[in-house]
Order: sequence, then C-alpha cells, then structure tokens
Amino acid sequence: MLSDREVLSTLEMLKNEHLDVRTVTLGVSLFDCAGHDPEKFKENVQRKIFRLAGNLVKVCDEIGIRYGIPVVNKRVAVSPIAVAACSFSRPQMVEVARKLDETAADIGIDFIGGFGALVEKGFTEGDRALIAAIPEALASTRRVCSSVNVASTRAGINMDAVYLMGKTIKDAAELTREADGIACAKLCVFANIPEDVPFMAGAYLGVGEPDSVINVGVSGPGVVKKAIDRARAANPHLDLGALSDIIKRTSFKVTRVGELIGRQVAEKLGVPFGVVDLSLAPTPNVGDSVGEIFQSLGLQSIGVPGTTAALALLNDAVKKGGAFASSYVGGLSGAFIPVSEDLNIAAAASRGYLSMEKLEAMTSVCSVGLDMVALAGDTSAETLSGIIADEMAIGVINKKTTAARLIPVPGKKAGEKASFGGLLGEAVIIAVSSNFGSREFISLGGRIPAPIQSLIN
Amino acid sequence: MKKIIISVLGHDRPGIIAAVSKILLEHECNIEDVSQTILQTEFAGIFIASVPGRASEQSLSAALRGKLEPMGLSVLLKRMWETEVWAAPPSEPFVITTVGPDRLGLVAGVTELLAGYGVNITNLKALFRGGSDPTRNIMIYEVDIPLGIDQHAFRAALQERCRELDLDVSLQHRDVFEAIHRV
Repeated sequence: MLSDREVLSTLEMLKNEHLDVRTVTLGVSLFDCAGHDPEKFKENVQRKIFRLAGNLVKVCDEIGIRYGIPVVNKRVAVSPIAVAACSFSRPQMVEVARKLDETAADIGIDFIGGFGALVEKGFTEGDRALIAAIPEALASTRRVCSSVNVASTRAGINMDAVYLMGKTIKDAAELTREADGIACAKLCVFANIPEDVPFMAGAYLGVGEPDSVINVGVSGPGVVKKAIDRARAANPHLDLGALSDIIKRTSFKVTRVGELIGRQVAEKLGVPFGVVDLSLAPTPNVGDSVGEIFQSLGLQSIGVPGTTAALALLNDAVKKGGAFASSYVGGLSGAFIPVSEDLNIAAAASRGYLSMEKLEAMTSVCSVGLDMVALAGDTSAETLSGIIADEMAIGVINKKTTAARLIPVPGKKAGEKASFGGLLGEAVIIAVSSNFGSREFISLGGRIPAPIQSLIN
Repeated sequence: MKKIIISVLGHDRPGIIAAVSKILLEHECNIEDVSQTILQTEFAGIFIASVPGRASEQSLSAALRGKLEPMGLSVLLKRMWETEVWAAPPSEPFVITTVGPDRLGLVAGVTELLAGYGVNITNLKALFRGGSDPTRNIMIYEVDIPLGIDQHAFRAALQERCRELDLDVSLQHRDVFEAIHRV
C-alpha cells in the first residue's frame, strides 16, 4: 500500500518539476562494419543502425506512455569513427558523417554521436583524417555530434591534438558563420572521456563496450531545486550538511526512475542495459535550470564567491545519491554548467557574475567542463587551444572528466549575444583576458607527461 | 475446517481488536487475516478466521455481539463459502490519482468507468475536505489493469471522464512509486 505522501511527492516531481528521462541512448558498435570500401562501410553502418535502432523511438515512446514518464530524447552513439573507418580519407569521413546524419533522420532521432577520435597519446592516419573532416562534417549535417579525447590521467595531454582542435573549432565556426558558429556546439574536446556517456555532444560507444547497449541519461535540476526550496521553507535552519542529504535523496529517486525506464527499453529492444548517467543537465526552459539551485542554496547568483563550494557540494551529493540508487551509474554523472543551455547561467554571464576564470574554476568540481561557452569571433586558434589545455589539465591532474565546448562566434564581440536555437539556447559572449599571450606556449606542441599519482597536494 | 468472516464497525476506541481476538481465542478460532482502518472517527475491521468443527457459529456470534454491541460496535459474521470466486485476469498494477474540487459523484464517476473496463481496485484512499489545497481533495486508486484491454482507449476514456468531472488525473505504473520510494 502506497502512502499519500509517496504518491503526491512523486506526482509533484513528474508534473511540476520536470522529472523525465532526458535521453535513452543506444550504443551501436560499428567495428563489424569496417572495411576498405567506403560505400560498403556506409551501407553496413546504415543497415546495422536500422536493425538495432529502427524501433528505438517507438519503444521509448511506448514505455514513456506506459509509465507516465516521458523519454524526451532518443539518440544513438556509435563507435569512434576514427577507429571504425580508420582507412578513409578526409572527404570519405565527411561522407560517413552525412550517412550517419541521414540514418539518424530516417529513424527519427535528434542526435547521433561518435564522429570522434581518441588521440590522447598520438594520432593514427584515421584520427587525422577524421579531425580534418570535423568542420565540414558538422557544418553539413544537423544531427551528427563529435568528440575528441585529447588527454587522460594515464597518458597526459597531447598538446599537438589540443592545438589541432583549437584550429578545428575555428574552422567549424567559420563554416557556420550565419548560424553563430553552431557547428561548434556539436563538438566537444575531452580529457578522460567515459566510454558510456549518453549525453550529447560527448556520447560515443567506447571500444570496451558491447556490440549494443542502452545507456540512460536522467536529469532533473528542477526536482533538486524544488526539494531544496521545500526543505528550507519547512526548516530555515537547515545547514549545508542537511541540504546535501536532501540533494542526495532526491538524486536517488531520479536515478531509480531512469534505471526503471532504461531497463524496460533495453529488455524490449533485446539489448543489454549499460548505465544510468545522472547528470543535472539543464534546458533553456523556466524551472529546468542548474543555476537556480545556487540561489536556492543561498547565493545571490551562480558565479558569486561561494559558487565553487556550492557546486562541489551539489556534484558530490548527486553522485552519492545516484551511486546508492543503481549499481550501474556511469557516464558523466554530476552537474553540468552549460552556459547557453541554462537560462539562469546565461543570465548570470550577461550580468557579469560569470567570467571565464570563474567558469574554469568551477569546472574543477563540476561533472564536465567549459560547456557551451560563446567567445568572440576573433578569438585565435592559439587562445582557444590555451583554454582547452587549461581545461584538460584540470581533468588530468584531478583524475576527472573535463571537456571544452567552445564557440567562437564569427563576427561578434564580447558582450554581444549569440543565439543557437532550441535546446542549445543563447548566451552573451564572454571575454577572454588575452588573445595573443598563448601563441608561443601552444606552438611548442608535444605531450605534457602523465601526472604523478602520489604526493597528492 | 470452515472459515468465517467477521466485520466490525463503529466509533474507534482502544480495545476493539483485543475484544474480538479474545473471543476468537476462547472459541479456538485461528485468525488467518486481519485488516483494520480508521476513517475520521470510525473504526472498520475485517477478520478471516478458521473455526474448528466442534465450535458453534451461533455461540461465537452471540459472544461477539454480547461483548461488542455494548461498546457501540456492530458485528457481522458470515460463513466464507467455498463457491467459485472471481479470478483476476493477467494484469499490471497502476496508480490513478485525481485532484480537483469536491462535488457529488466523483468516486461514482471514476469507479463506474473502471468497472466498465474490468479494472479492479486493490486499494482506494479518497478524501474530500473542500478548499483549494490539492492534498485535501484527492483520490488515490491502486488498480490492476487487465493486459487484455485496449490500454490507449482506457487512458483516453479515463482522461475524458476526469475532464468532465473537473479533475486533474494521472495514471502511473505502480513500479514508478516502488522504484522511487522503496529501497
């Protein structure tokens, strides 16, 4: 017998607090599609994705209706194309991206991830061809997402790759000049990328993963915010330890819902269940903001002194609740701080509470990194590379995932507004302290060695 | 061994279950199931007990009435017949929750629809206290929905019925509540 309180609190989460399953992402390995003939490869890829993911949208919708919990996005993550298609040239890689885009459209999904490479220790020919293809591939497709891992705690930071990605981002922005450089919104540069991320733009299917797998991304920043608000209204004297516990309990509930739905989808598709990724991932909708949580915790705005501590508390409590709720928690799991995708964070940036330096500091304790940060269009490739290198260093040294999704908006300056549309939102362009000071350092190239794992201070 | 059902109804007070169970013990009856609830000031209890062959139902009934009626409680004692009972079809558990202003016919309106689709109510809690606080005007039905019925048609019909009754309705799988609240 369920109690009134259980029933009502659950309904409140579902109806008014945006509790949903943010994404069900089907991982599809493309290694068995590999070959020297690009036409044959594309045909194999399309056939395999159709076979495994043809019913993904239908099954997710059915289960969403049956359980009364919407599965907002259905997506596919494939093996890193630089590995699966390693013998192909740059133009052939672009063709592969177009085929992925076409296939994604045919099965009714909004994004397909995995047009990426893992180059933390060096490049293969396939890696080089893929990275060279990224600007055109992302500019000429709508649904394809790309991620490139350039650093890891075990390998160090491939600074040649960092520089190459700085240039790649510039080129991608230029090719989508009319749309504020939107191609860059589909491109992430990672350190320590997990193999099972269900969230875009970082989603891909790692090389150690099964042939196909269902990974689920659950979100719910609105649920967390409301839980904090209710608890503080009921007892204004709650301290941060007690509030951390509230967040933990809430993330437990959200994770359980995600696992329930994910396992049902996996069973129905006949695919193994992988992980639940509990990430507080905002959308540019009122009540679905990570930034608002900081205000609920007593800060005037995200970005004011105290923000990094609050984010550390939030990120850790989310992970703890998630880890207790499911034995298979993976992906990024924590709090995202994508500037343009969160109304509150975007507003904090435009009011000057969030500088580049504060965002970078926050990424040392958030679950990913510098996310959807709009920069001036004249930001040089070397400056972009410097920002990426800093972000990678935070991840490598702290043994965590970090990423940079930077958008140098062509033709616009700091303080102007960039608009990406839909879930990608809009944001003010953030200033960078210097646009020329990184050139010599970045040009040195090479690999920053992997860090020592003892003497931790 | 025969079985009897005893139901007890009346103002709540300490000692009702104790009185019933003491008499059952004196008649060597074994309680198999018991459930009680309290609505506002009123107690309702239902017992299923097995009765040894030598015990007399008349004397048991007389003893229960003799003890409970002076306490202001009414007692019904009935033999549990071993005739054919309704067999539940394969079904899935759901929770229907409605919130909305109180008016005549809410329970009747919803349950008529449920009965029409063969949806069995396994637990119902409804309270109507007026005012605008949703938690004061609520019905929570735990139901088993047969797998064999047209689920989409049932959902649509339930939505439509609740719209007519000015109720905000939600239909959730019970697993959702279990997953969220039970460790």
